[in-house]
Amino acid sequence: MTESFLDRREHLFYHWFVRLSDYGCNVGVLASFAVDKRPSWGGKPFEMMTPEIHRELYRLMVLSRLVDRACCELSVHWFPSEGEEAVLVGSFYGLRPDDVIAPHYRGPFIAFYMRGAALDRLLASPLGKATSYTRGRAPAHCGPPHFNIIPWVSGDLGPIISIAAGTALACRYKQSDRVTVHTIGEGTTNRGDFHEALTLAGLWKLPVVYVVQNNQYAISLHISEFMPCKEITDRAAGYGMPGVAVDGNDVAAVFETVQEAVARARQGLGPTLIEARTYRLRGHWAGDPAAYRPPEEVEAWRAQDPVVRCQQALLASGALTPEDDKALWAAAEEEVAEALAKAKAAPDLGTPDAGLNEVYA
Amino acid sequence: MRRLTYIDAIIEGIAEEMRRDPDVFLIGQDIGRFGGSLQGTKGLWEEFGPSRIYEAPIAESAMAGCGIGAALMGLRPMVEISFGEFLPTVMSQLVCHAASIHYGTAGVAHVPLVIRTRVGIGPYRGHPQCYESWFQHVPGLKVVMPYWPADAKGLIKAAIRDENPVLFFEHMFLYRGIRGEVPDGDHLVPIGRADIKRPGRDVTIAATGWMVLKALVAADLLAREGIEAEVVDLRTLAPLDVETLCASVRRTGRLVVVHEAWKVGGIGAEIAATVAEEAFEDLEAPIVRVGTPHVPIPSNETLRKVVIPDTPGIIAAVHQTLGRLSSG
Ligand SMILES: Cc1ncc(C[n+]2csc(CCOP(=O)(O)OP(=O)(O)O)c2C)c(N)n1
Ligand SMILES: [Mg+2]
Repeated sequence: MTESFLDRREHLFYHWFVRLSDYGCNVGVLASFAVDKRPSWGGKPFEMMTPEIHRELYRLMVLSRLVDRACCELSVHWFPSEGEEAVLVGSFYGLRPDDVIAPHYRGPFIAFYMRGAALDRLLASPLGKATSYTRGRAPAHCGPPHFNIIPWVSGDLGPIISIAAGTALACRYKQSDRVTVHTIGEGTTNRGDFHEALTLAGLWKLPVVYVVQNNQYAISLHISEFMPCKEITDRAAGYGMPGVAVDGNDVAAVFETVQEAVARARQGLGPTLIEARTYRLRGHWAGDPAAYRPPEEVEAWRAQDPVVRCQQALLASGALTPEDDKALWAAAEEEVAEALAKAKAAPDLGTPDAGLNEVYA
Repeated sequence: MRRLTYIDAIIEGIAEEMRRDPDVFLIGQDIGRFGGSLQGTKGLWEEFGPSRIYEAPIAESAMAGCGIGAALMGLRPMVEISFGEFLPTVMSQLVCHAASIHYGTAGVAHVPLVIRTRVGIGPYRGHPQCYESWFQHVPGLKVVMPYWPADAKGLIKAAIRDENPVLFFEHMFLYRGIRGEVPDGDHLVPIGRADIKRPGRDVTIAATGWMVLKALVAADLLAREGIEAEVVDLRTLAPLDVETLCASVRRTGRLVVVHEAWKVGGIGAEIAATVAEEAFEDLEAPIVRVGTPHVPIPSNETLRKVVIPDTPGIIAAVHQTLGRLSSG
């Protein structure tokens, strides 16, 4: 917990620079969001950080936190994402609507919302309402495919990693420059599916970006108990792709790092493995007291709360006034309350939703 | 009409679909220059090349996952799992995902994916295990297992055009073991329809894959004794053509089910139970199932002959339903 994120970040971007050069990319300067002029990738420019974007990232993180807390109250079985908002938002912000996304099961609602899904229909899922996108047939983490979201109809971890390679392959097959972004739990990276999918993605240079949402726990196990290598990014070399680590509690850093990888993928330069290190502030599920870890550890990470860090950065830079901030929170609270009320008023799931004749297309 | 081998009919079907629809493409191991396991993709590489034929590393689970992803995007991938024995490597992909996506997304997404694979004993000595009945248990998958070249061609074309995940089981013994007339033109065979390969009034023999051939031989021998067997080639295991099966049983009053996979929990169990539910009053004798006994299919050829169902075994089963002793 004594690790300085600033030091770490510099080191990490060095890593990024070296690795990308290895793979034939000309990165002129080290990436850092304080730098105005971005390195040219020789293709389409990626979105640059502006105060507006930074504020929007913040708003989305606030919304994500409020939605998550509401879901925890609705169900003890909800998987809380508090503390991981910078990865949830930063990984999926700035994509084109025709890009394909596949968010990790923990905290996906904000990504779905960013794609255009209606908040009340998302909340209808934990509530068991007929208006939910899946009509109660798939877990809440199954996103609506209407918005180019890979549906995750099962509770198993792993297979989506290669399904994401497949959507990327399809985009290349159609000679489009659409990109797929998939977030994966660090625990899930031990599945054989991870190895196979990244092998194919690296071999075929598929336009896919894998972001490891490293919250340092897989249920009760700390990463030190299940990860044989030092850094998750160490694995990237085995798949012929760059591995980039980023401070997963810094939304701007996550956003920019993912966008660089997205730009790279769009240009046909292949996949990237990004590790965003963050922390799961609550239990594995809402009702989990998480007694298996020291309270000091949780406290240390609470001090790194990504929402608070972003808020402080915005206030310090003057991009946000305390009044703006209050208004932003109030508006987010209202948005969630309204969506929740609408979701609750919707009809309950019933017999027709069981769709006995809707198994085959 | 031309006479084609089983495998030539399948390859012709795939090639026609690839010519018709540029979104049809293949992922598999050694399916390019090498021409595929048992030369099962011969000629496709020469015609379609690397933009339509993805040579894959030994990563079946990801190959299947890639197929699902591509299918979700509207392409029509065919993923080749060289041998049915490797299907356990793609179970999560097919069972947890491909099968449930249409249902789970309330009909918004679907997966037009074909998984092509080879099963059964045959001229090739390896990989004989038959796992097809695992998949008919899973809602959302279609399971096809043709016997006759014309059916093989018509069904592979139908599988490629189907909007659902289809598992296509090719029997290795039949590859070049039979040759048959295949209609010219755009020949399609609907998935989900059994076919009466030989009409008869005394007993129904329902069979899959290579066992259809054995059942037909058995029927010829039985005819010499004055027993007219009706041979129903299931062609599709899921969805099962209950109508054709029950109609046949209603005519004959007797049913023998034959498959190369294990008798325990095989498709025969499902058929026997369904026919007992739907047509019990028409049965004049208990249903008899013929399948491999509950041992892993042995590697050695001599031992395989001991366990795999054969013509005398089918004849004995028919005799049993007719209450006769088999001279076997
Ligand atoms: C294939 C599979 N194995 C085990 C589980 C049970 N399980 C659910 S969540 C989880 C922990 C996952 O850890 P990680 O990938 O780090 O994601 P996180 O929960 O930390 O967000 C486990 C083991 C599962 N759902 N699927
Ligand atoms: Mg984790």
